[in-house]
Amino acid sequence: MLITVMLPLIIILVPAMMTIPGTSFNIPTTMFENLPLEVKLEIAGMNATQQIVYIFALYFFAPFFLIIPIMASSVLASDSFAGEKDRKTIEALLATPLTDGELLLGKILVSFIPSMLVTFLAFVAYSAVVDITAFALFGGRTLLPNLLWFALIFIVTPAVALAGIGVTVIVSVRVKGFREAQQLSALLVLPVMLLIFSEVGGLLMFGPTMLAMLIVGFVVLDLIVFKLGTSLFRREEILVKSI
Amino acid sequence: MDRLSFEVEEGEVFGILGPNGAGKTTTIRMLACIVSPSGGSAKVAGYDIVKESVNVRKSVGILTENPSLYERLSAVENLEFFAKAYGITDGQRVSERIKELLDFFQLWDRRNERVATFSKGMKQKLAIARAIVHDPPILLLDEPTAGLDPEASKLIRNLIERLGSLERHTVLLCTHRLEDAERLCDRVMIISRGASKVVGTTKELRNRMGGHPKLEVTLREVTREVVDKVRGIESVEGVEVDEGSARLLVAANDVEAVAPYVVRALVNAGAMVTGVSVFLPSLEEAYLKLVRET
Repeated sequence: MLITVMLPLIIILVPAMMTIPGTSFNIPTTMFENLPLEVKLEIAGMNATQQIVYIFALYFFAPFFLIIPIMASSVLASDSFAGEKDRKTIEALLATPLTDGELLLGKILVSFIPSMLVTFLAFVAYSAVVDITAFALFGGRTLLPNLLWFALIFIVTPAVALAGIGVTVIVSVRVKGFREAQQLSALLVLPVMLLIFSEVGGLLMFGPTMLAMLIVGFVVLDLIVFKLGTSLFRREEILVKSI
Repeated sequence: MDRLSFEVEEGEVFGILGPNGAGKTTTIRMLACIVSPSGGSAKVAGYDIVKESVNVRKSVGILTENPSLYERLSAVENLEFFAKAYGITDGQRVSERIKELLDFFQLWDRRNERVATFSKGMKQKLAIARAIVHDPPILLLDEPTAGLDPEASKLIRNLIERLGSLERHTVLLCTHRLEDAERLCDRVMIISRGASKVVGTTKELRNRMGGHPKLEVTLREVTREVVDKVRGIESVEGVEVDEGSARLLVAANDVEAVAPYVVRALVNAGAMVTGVSVFLPSLEEAYLKLVRET
């Protein structure tokens, strides 16, 4: 949460305090060149400071919001089954008539709901800080929220979160204890970091096309992860690993 | 397990005895559909344990080796969770059932306290309450009196008796405590190394492994003459003599019928009889004998 407040403050206030040459554009050239045409048109009439603030606040930091639910859910998701094994409560749970799918879904939702709440609150805080600090810079115009960010926060982020949490819960089923599950779940941020670095390097840019690809890709991945989870769910193995 | 095969009738309290590692807990887990059998089949409440595992779990209440309670939750919260997990959605029914159970187990005053603060005995009682919260027709109890003080053990034994004889629940009871098996079980199976060794009522087991009841006669002094007099009685099959404690163990088909004849023969032979009783082979002796043999 602190990051979603501090980051926009930094990206908006620092350029505003620095002297930005009027016609030069000091963010990485490749990143600027790879901006979608519609974005280039959006920033065409802006000065250099406005362009930096606009690009960073609305596009560059967007993928960071994909990390928030993964990080926020890592402890809960890792603890889902591994914690039950550690605390010797798994046997009574496995003895209930809850189906494998119900058990998995229940454990996923326990992590998903709070992580999405955190993400939504972070988005509200981020939007508020961006709009308040950029208000004067853009002549009273607010930047967030916009349609792209609504899609990011309410469609893409949940889909990414479900995939990440689903994988962590599956890991939690398979490992012996909580520590092992949490260490392995930390690897999940790597794909998102790859996305961020690709953006910095100008290979990708957050925009409608990328958003559409992420939605389709992650919805399919969510279904695959759930199917995989139910097929890998073996009560006997879970119990043996808890002994 | 090694081709284990047995049947339990509806309403029966059936005991499973065996040394550590015999397969008692594994048997319970298979019947509760927590682990799968590698071969063979079984039906619990008419449902196949492999093909209809969800229905089996709905019909069964299990007390596991560990209490398996959520220690950060209270007693009420634990029971509410498991009541819902077992499909009881009616809030009123859940509340009433929880009050009934916590009252019975004398835990009502501690209902809102976290289970982590409970003693071992209290956790065991709560775990039993959890096993029966959904009032299942079949109960699988793994060492239900383990870790309990005499008062709590008596409470649990009374509950099992009530569930079995009065309420006609079917109870499968794994226990090391032979006195519990003798007192509670209609029939007992002794298993060793995954295989069933003997199944029967406790009386049958005692007789089969320890022999029939014998007549124990204590005298002031044992002499050869009095022993020969007793051996001479027609229905007496044999006489064991313990000279140290001046005791005779008389074997006969019907010890109660032969007792008056034995006493008369001893008195006529001049023996001073100080005590007469029926000596029953104990389940413990039968169990130990069987376990040693395997």
